[in-house]
Amino acid sequence: MRGRINHQTLYLIFLSSLLLVGILLFSFFFLIPKGKEYRLLRLESKKEQQMVDRAREHHRTVNEKLEKLQAAHAKTIKAYETHFSPQKFTKIHSKEFQNLSLTEIAMADHNGSFKVYEVNATTKITSPESFYHFLEKVNKSEWIIGVNFPIHFEREGELIRSSFTMKVHNHEEGKREKEGH
Amino acid sequence: MKYSFIAPRSKHFISGEMRLSLFFFTVSISMVVFAYLFLVYKTVDFKEHHTSFSKTIKQLEKSASVLEEKIVVIEAEVKMHEQISTDNTVMKESIRNLFDLVPDQITLTRAELNEKSLILYGITPNKDTYEFMLQAPLQSIFHRTFTSFYPAENGWYNFVSSNYLDDETAVEEAE
Repeated sequence: MRGRINHQTLYLIFLSSLLLVGILLFSFFFLIPKGKEYRLLRLESKKEQQMVDRAREHHRTVNEKLEKLQAAHAKTIKAYETHFSPQKFTKIHSKEFQNLSLTEIAMADHNGSFKVYEVNATTKITSPESFYHFLEKVNKSEWIIGVNFPIHFEREGELIRSSFTMKVHNHEEGKREKEGH
Repeated sequence: MKYSFIAPRSKHFISGEMRLSLFFFTVSISMVVFAYLFLVYKTVDFKEHHTSFSKTIKQLEKSASVLEEKIVVIEAEVKMHEQISTDNTVMKESIRNLFDLVPDQITLTRAELNEKSLILYGITPNKDTYEFMLQAPLQSIFHRTFTSFYPAENGWYNFVSSNYLDDETAVEEAE
């Protein structure tokens, strides 16, 4: 009677073996492959997170650079955006010139992101000093204006008649032309 | 009448030890299944994140490249503005120097300034004054200088001085 195994114990051993086999099978066929996949994906995810962080940092740096540049050159940027008004230009420079007339010639060459147009200016000045002052004031004006050759000076009695071309660099002109096309 | 010395115990289909074992079995199975479900959930979550990460990176890169383009444009504009300002200043100084060259005895009636040439029209009391006081400095600036005189009504001379700068690269090639 002492060697006999209780039927409850037998049942327990059978169930334990079943559980062990079941868990082993489940682990080998499902849990371990899934674990490997998880580990791989977690590693990839970490790398991707680093890439996102790097991209965010790069974006932040570029944005900061742009903001600094915009703040440092606000006047220049605004000057490119300001529409050129011949009337206003004539009024501003009426002190240097006795008579100033502007004639728009044509839309000139494409120059990168902006267009250039030429203005023919005929002026009557009393001395070359007025022309020097004009060039100084042009550099400080609200537009980007380049005075170009040819420049002609001609004596007319007590006055000097001058004519030259100027190029007004302006975004607005470019945008309008693009819209027109 | 009693047939036993002890009180009868209630009999269960599953004994206490068996119930304890089954409880541990259930806990073990639940833990394994929970671990598996956790892995499945995290795997799906990582895959979803992968898609959103790629999208975020693309958006950030696109946005950064737009900003970089803006920086390039602004830098080019600023450079151009500086160049234009410098050109205007250089032009002012060149014209000032030119008029400073003309001595008081000589009167200019017309001046045509081009990028590579200067044509002056004027009146000089005599040819020597022109040659010594204006032609000499002009010759030191320009590569080629031609002058023609014609007499004025008051005995002075009208002159036309054509001065040209040769293309530096063309000169170097010829040499």
